Amino acid sequence: MDRPAVSCTASPDPLHDLYASHHGWLSGWLRRKLGCPEQAADLAQDTFLRILGARDALPAICEPRAYLTTTANRLIIDRARRKALEQAYLAELSAVADTRHSFPSPEETLIAVQALMQIANALDRVPVRAGEAFLLHYLDGMTHAEVACRLDVSPRMVRKYLVQCLLACDLQSAA
Amino acid sequence: MKPSPCTTASEQAAAWIVRLSSDDAEERRQAEQSFLAWKAADPRHAEAAARLEKLVGQLAAFRQDGSRSPARQAILAARQSTPRPARRLAARLALLAALLLPGWLALQTTPASSLLADLHTGSGEWQSTTLADGSRLALGGSAAVDLQFDAKTRTVTLLRGQILVDVAHDGRPFIVATPHGSIRALGTRFLVNRYADETVLEMLESRVAVSVVGSDRPIVVEAGQSLRFAADGGARLASIDGPLLEDAWRQRQLVVRDRPLDEVLEQLARNRSGLIRYDREAVASLHVSAVLPLNDTDRALQLLANNFPALRIRRFSPYFVTIDRAEAH
Repeated sequence: MDRPAVSCTASPDPLHDLYASHHGWLSGWLRRKLGCPEQAADLAQDTFLRILGARDALPAICEPRAYLTTTANRLIIDRARRKALEQAYLAELSAVADTRHSFPSPEETLIAVQALMQIANALDRVPVRAGEAFLLHYLDGMTHAEVACRLDVSPRMVRKYLVQCLLACDLQSAA
Repeated sequence: MKPSPCTTASEQAAAWIVRLSSDDAEERRQAEQSFLAWKAADPRHAEAAARLEKLVGQLAAFRQDGSRSPARQAILAARQSTPRPARRLAARLALLAALLLPGWLALQTTPASSLLADLHTGSGEWQSTTLADGSRLALGGSAAVDLQFDAKTRTVTLLRGQILVDVAHDGRPFIVATPHGSIRALGTRFLVNRYADETVLEMLESRVAVSVVGSDRPIVVEAGQSLRFAADGGARLASIDGPLLEDAWRQRQLVVRDRPLDEVLEQLARNRSGLIRYDREAVASLHVSAVLPLNDTDRALQLLANNFPALRIRRFSPYFVTIDRAEAH
């Protein structure tokens, strides 16, 4: 039977085993999917990096190839999102340049884009109104009462929305 | 993926941070103080708080440096570029469950009879009262009593939970009644704990006479003794360390020596705002000797988990925990 080298049994270095057994296969899979060898090699590398960043989950991987493709697919979506996000951010930043003190440095832009990605991903997981309450309060600086009035809900509900969004953001930072 | 960070710490941190920007200045001030204490209590709290504070700080920075609208446009663009419709439904269902849960929990954890009692506490809530005769009555979590004082007797009916009674001497007998019997005192101090099928009396000072249902002769229980009695007339005396128990009560600790786990879990459940669901029969065969914090039931559950590898404790949210025995592999 064609058993993958890494199964549910723990190995002294499961990541190494995973890499050795499946890196070539994943690169091939990504090349077929993306049609671009450089991008595929890059993404394969990133996929393992992401898994490396979450090592404690490794011993539980029973279907390594499914796990790898899921992780790679998420990276592809994340990259597309990040690109769209960064472009929109920089474009709007130029448009409002005169109301700002200065244009952000590349480091500041990177930090901002990361935080915005975290928020965008988190807001996918909460109801539309909760996400709106979150942005009105934390980004626009409205008070709880003002948000409640704008969304026509109780201030209590606003709090619930805010807690829900913060929690979703925190889960994103761990993903 | 990493295992999600301790959900409880995240949820609590989120709740604190929302309170920090409350519209009410007094609430903000209080929240700031308590938040500091909460963060200092556990490194996981501090980590969860730091992650969220960083995010909120970044949002404030967008607001202050005039890039609110770029931030908003960026989030919008990202979400429009790759909509994730499948997750929306899951999120809605989860929200629905979250909205339904609190009301349902309230129904589950507070029987109607307790709401109508003369004095009652919610889960995790401790309350101390001086009665009209000067006696002091302290209620542990999820306790309820009815009071009936007349010219001849003072009667406290223990409906639920545990109480500490410090009886003032005034000539009338002081009676604590449960379905399993009644405890009669003149001036003394003791703890009474009512369970479904038995009552446990722990004497801290002086003595009382207990009339157990279905038995004609009262049993005298002295300081340093405990009596477990049931409605079938069964009663068992044992010796206890009174001062230790009283200290433990004041510090909201549960001291148990060789008690079945289900009894311990019942006490934890009374002091927890969420539900603890467990299979009574499956856990009753495990016996516990421990000192557990009743005001930090998360820690208490963790201590139990550490000591009983066979125990499987699953935390679905801070409001819902299930406990059973792990299947043998």
